[in-house]
This record gives sequence, structure tokens and C-alpha cells, in this order.
Amino acid sequence: MREVTYLEAIREAMSQEMRKDDNVFIMGEDIGIYGGAFGLTNGMIEEFGPERVRNTPISEAAISGCAVGAAMTGMRPILEIQFSDFIMIAMDNIVNQAAKTRYMYGGKAQVPIVIRLPGGSGAGFAAQHSQSLEAWMTHVPGLKVVQPSNAYDAKGLMKAAIKDNNPVLFYEHKLLYNTKGEVPEEDYEIPLGQADIKKEGSDITIVATAIMVNKALEAAVELEKEGISVEVIDPRTLVPLDTATILESVKKTSRVLVVYEAVKRSGYGAEIVSMIAESDVFDYLDAPIRRLGGLATPIPYNPVLEKAAVPQVDDIVQECKKLMNK
Amino acid sequence: MASEVVMPKLGATMEEGTIVSWLVQVGELVEDGDPIAEIQTDKIVMEIEAETTGVLLKTLYDAGTAVKVHEVVAYLGDEGESAEGLGDDLSKSTKAFGEKLEQTVNETTAINEVSVWACDKIRRTPAARKLAEESQLNLYDIAGSGPLGRIQKIDVENYLQQQDTKRITPLAKKIADDQGIDYKQIEGTGSHGKIRKEDLVSTPVTNEKVMVLADKRMPFKGMRKVIADRISASAYTAPHVTLLSEIDMTNCVALRQDLLPIIEKVEGLRISFNEILIKATAFALKQNPNINISLEGQEIVYHSHVNIGMAVAVPDGLVVPVLRNVDQKGLAAITSEAKGIGKQARDGKLSPDDMQGSTFTISNLGMYAIDGFTPIINSPNAAILGIGRIQKKTVVVNDELAIRSMMNLSLSFDHRIIDGAPAAAFLTDLKDVLENPFKLMI
Repeated sequence: MREVTYLEAIREAMSQEMRKDDNVFIMGEDIGIYGGAFGLTNGMIEEFGPERVRNTPISEAAISGCAVGAAMTGMRPILEIQFSDFIMIAMDNIVNQAAKTRYMYGGKAQVPIVIRLPGGSGAGFAAQHSQSLEAWMTHVPGLKVVQPSNAYDAKGLMKAAIKDNNPVLFYEHKLLYNTKGEVPEEDYEIPLGQADIKKEGSDITIVATAIMVNKALEAAVELEKEGISVEVIDPRTLVPLDTATILESVKKTSRVLVVYEAVKRSGYGAEIVSMIAESDVFDYLDAPIRRLGGLATPIPYNPVLEKAAVPQVDDIVQECKKLMNK
Repeated sequence: MASEVVMPKLGATMEEGTIVSWLVQVGELVEDGDPIAEIQTDKIVMEIEAETTGVLLKTLYDAGTAVKVHEVVAYLGDEGESAEGLGDDLSKSTKAFGEKLEQTVNETTAINEVSVWACDKIRRTPAARKLAEESQLNLYDIAGSGPLGRIQKIDVENYLQQQDTKRITPLAKKIADDQGIDYKQIEGTGSHGKIRKEDLVSTPVTNEKVMVLADKRMPFKGMRKVIADRISASAYTAPHVTLLSEIDMTNCVALRQDLLPIIEKVEGLRISFNEILIKATAFALKQNPNINISLEGQEIVYHSHVNIGMAVAVPDGLVVPVLRNVDQKGLAAITSEAKGIGKQARDGKLSPDDMQGSTFTISNLGMYAIDGFTPIINSPNAAILGIGRIQKKTVVVNDELAIRSMMNLSLSFDHRIIDGAPAAAFLTDLKDVLENPFKLMI
């Protein structure tokens, strides 16, 4: 099969949907001729024109407000927040308007928007452009939160997000943009709320999100050499969360490590851990559930410190050994 | 008037105890606090002590008999007192299993340990708890291998696997394993069909089922290999000379009797001769710093502190945990540490650090019928002390025959770095302090 990058897969998903449905359009800062901060929308203005690829002023409040309004009138906007860190400016429109409207109007109005959010550290963008704040959004009822870890998932999930009638926060990891994967050209969708077992194993279940899925898979290869068999689960969507797949795996392995890049304290991994601990699968646990997350620090600019602030492959390997009492 | 000796109730759940051995012969004199018999409960081996001074008039049960708690097991009385009729009406009421306990049982565990263990909350994972519950197992019976002794699922599974095999006494299992007998085919005659030693021997050898006694072969590796390498290295590089000396331990026996209740009150532990010997050795080493040395590479190290390695037998091997700065510690502290580290050793919970840094080693075989032996030095230490059993003997004291508690000490030393005279001086000083233990107070 052909291989495309994560970034191209997202562009392809949006373009395909825009060709099928005239109501779908994209808006954001410099997404036209410039192609957006990461070049993700390169070439789209040529195909779809400035009406459907709309450059906006540098105001996240304005972009999100326009998007909510457009969606309520029947459009299906996709907006790009240049760095996910800037979502704070758009927060009132997302949390107080987008998330509430469908509920408060008894379903008569809805806000089918997709908010694309490049997040994560590792690219040298320092403290205000490198955060992983997805957990904030998972706390608000009415919002869906997606975090793809590879090109194939990114395309399928983007299509499902565009078709969903609720506001969807679509977190893209900057370091994944240029990673390649096999992606079919044809139309396919990955339903929101369906986790994926990226690798089967018998000793430890690692539930990892976004780029940590890839790191966990690397760690699994190392651990395999030492006789530790790791199962890697990617929830793919945080809300709704596919609890059944996670619990089934924990029942099998009886040990859990949850890995996420966001600050460990109050990160979404804590929610996954609580869900497991509260479930009937508790009885199958043979070790305390462990979490591996980012340090409670702003992301440093220094590249060595930047790496040290978030989990790396070796950290995952060490945590797994601890879980095995090794 | 004869006084009764009863089977003590050592724990809330104890219903009976088995007499492992009588430590005193009928007709022998025992003093208040002397051990009379060794008994075994389902958890521990203990001694029954005399509560008065007197002569053992009569024992009602043979070794190997299980006796209910509070039942009379023996009588103490005055010398020459008749033992006739004593306990005649009692012996019928007691259930006698007759299960012989022929394993060697030496370790006595303190009484309070039972109660602490019983009320302690168990560390176990949910998975281990669930499996134990489903299998109707008591988690208290299972040893945990996880951090802080946490019981993991694998521990329960291992335990179950053992249970799956037939009920068999430890001795019979050892014989069966050693001789390669498939005991699963054997019908046991013990309680609940437990296989006993006798069942193995009397297994009918028919034409269909011929018992093949194959030699057992074990790989020479692991702890056995480490021990072997270290012993060889020491024996073949350090020229050993062993000095022997017979010590009159009578004063130490008295000292121990006096200290027993005091230390038990402080530490909840019963002081052994082992701890007194450790203390006295440290004292003598302080007086003879030229013995407290090690040969490390091209240097002879004269240690500023006294760290005594204590050889402890563990299943299939031997470990030497180290008691540190013994010269600065009192007997209560030494007792607590020695018992603690001994238990850790037998439970396999010593860390490598616990076995590092000895400056001198003691190997005590006094609990066996060993009068003396020539130990091999625990390199890089320069000397090791071997301890034999304490036995009453007739000796000449002030030109008269007397019965004294005698014990042999043997000191093996590395003749490359210790000469005969200083070694002899050290052993003489050690003999002096053991025969006059009040010197320990100096």
C-alpha cells in the first residue's frame, strides 16, 4: 500500500470530505497560500478557493466564535488553532457555547465543528507552544476528544470527526506530522470511541496516547528481549473512551502502565487509572497500577531538558520492569 | 510433691503441639527456666521450660506424639520421689498421631512473633487475593515474593501447584525426591492420607510397578557454585592453622539464665549462647586488633570496627549475614539483630549489602551433636571461630572433680598474615572472657 505522512493523511481526509459535502470548510490563521504553520493545508486554497479555505485574523476568539455560529446555521467548519496552547482564548466559545448548545436546545440546534489542535513537545517551541492540555477538554460534557497516533488512524478519525454532530477536539502531535504510515486512498472511517490494540502481549498492558503509543511500541521491543511481553493499547479517542478494550486487556495481563505526555498530575491517564480501579477488573490486578507522565514543569526550551520533561522509551522500559518486580 | 509440666498454649489458634524431643532424661536434674522438651506447633518450634527446679520424674509421651494444649506431659519432683501412678489416668485421653518428626528442627522462634504475624495485615495484590479466595486458601500460609513481601498471583499459583501434589510429610518428600520415587502413586497412611516415610519404604514392589531408584543429578550452579568457589579459593590460597581450646561455659550459662527474662522484656526475644559468643568475640577482638584483619590485594587491613559475619544454614546452602559494630552494642541489641538477620537469611530476604563487610566470622554448630571442627576461613577475613556444643563434663576444679558445662572453640586463621602466638593469645583472651563473662562489663 502507499505510504503517506500523518500530515498528508489529515489533509486528504479533509479534502475528501470537502469534495463530498459543500458545507464542510476550513478556517484558521495563515492556512491559505502559506499553508498553515505546519504546511498542513498546502494546496487546499488552490483546489477549494478562498471561500472554503478562509484565512482569519490572529484571534482564536474570533475564529471559534465564527465557527460556532456557522455550525449552528448548518455548516460543518473545521478550524485550525495554530498551536493547541492558544485554545485558552477560544475557551468560552468552545466550553460555554459549542459544548452546551445541542443539550440546551433539546437537539434542535447543533454545533458540528472540528477543532484541529497541534500539540505536544519535542520540536523546540518552548513553554507556550508545546503543551498537552487535552485533559481540560475531556472534563467538559458535550465535547469529544480525539488523539491519533499514526497516519492511518488520523485519516479515519478525521473523517469520523467531520461527520459527527458534536464539537470534536482533534489533537495532532507535532512530532508525528512527518511520520509515515500505510494509508489507503479510498474513503474509510474509524468510529470515535474505538480503541486499538497496537501490539498484543501477555504480561503488561500499556495504555498510551498520541506519540506515547509509538514510544511504548519501541519499549515493547526492548522488553521483549528481556522476556517481558507488553500489550500496547491506543484509546485513539479519550472521549468517548473505549473502556471495554482496556479492561479486557487488563484482565488478561493483570498489570497496567498508563503513559501520556501531558503533566502526570491530573492528566487524562489518571482518568484511565481510576476507571480500571473502579471496575470489576480490579480483582485481576497483580500490581499497583502505574502512570508515567510529564514532569510538573513548563516545557523547557533547552532540547536536553525538553526531552527529560516528558516520558521517553527508556522510562517506559524501566517502569515495566518495576511492574514485573525486576 | 510432684509438679506438672503441661503442653503450653502458644497462640490463640493452637490446639495441640507435637513433642519433637525430650531435652532432659528421666532422673536428670533441671533448674527453673531450663528447657525440658522441644515442641512443635503448626508454625514454630519451641522449648518447654521448667517452672521449678527439680528432677524429671516421668515423661508421659514419646517424642513424635501430638498432645493437646494444657495436657500434662511430664512431672518434676524431688530426687528419689516415686513416679508411680503419676499421670496414669491422663494418657488415654490424648490423641496420639504418632507422626514422627525426624527432620532436624533447631530454630526456636519467639512466642510474640506468632501473635504479631497473626494480627498483621497481609500485603497481597487483588489478583492474589481473588485466586486464594477461589481456591479456599489462607493467605497467611503463603509467602510473598513481591516488594515488601507482597503476595503476588504467582505465589498463590506456586502454592496451589504444591498443594496439587499429594499430602506428604516434609521428610517423606525429601526421601522421595532424593531417591526419585514417584510418590503420587502411593497411598498414604498418615492423617488425611498423608504420605509418611514408612509408606515409601513399604510400597509393594510388584511386577507391573517396579520402583526404579535413579540417582538424582543437579546442575552445579547458583548458590552452590558460589559457595564452592569461595570455599575453594579460601582453602587453597590461605594456609589454614586451627587452634582448639576447651572453655568452661558454666558462668555463661548462668549469665544467660539471668539475662533471659530481662532481654525478653526489652526485645521480646530469647537470648541465645550465640549472641553471648558474638559479644565476647567482639570484646576479645578489640583486645587483639591484629586478629581483626583482612588481606585485601597487596594490603593487610586492620579494621577499626568489629563486624561479625554469622554463618547461617539456609535450604541447600549457607549465607553469612554481617552484624555491624558489635563491639559498641549491648546484648539486647545484638540479640535483636542476630535473630532478625538470621530470620531474614532463612526467609531468603537478605540483600547483598547485608552480607558485605565482615571483619571476622563465627560458625556455630552448637545446636548439633558436634564437639568441635575446623572451619574454613571466610575470605578476605583472616580468621574464623568454630563453636561446638555445650556439654556437662567432669573436670578438675581446684584439684577436685566437678561437673561443668564445657564447650570447644576452634580458631582457624590465615597463617600468611597471623602468626601462631597472636592467634593463641586471642583465643586465650576469648576463653578468659567467656569463663569470666562479667569482664564484658568493663
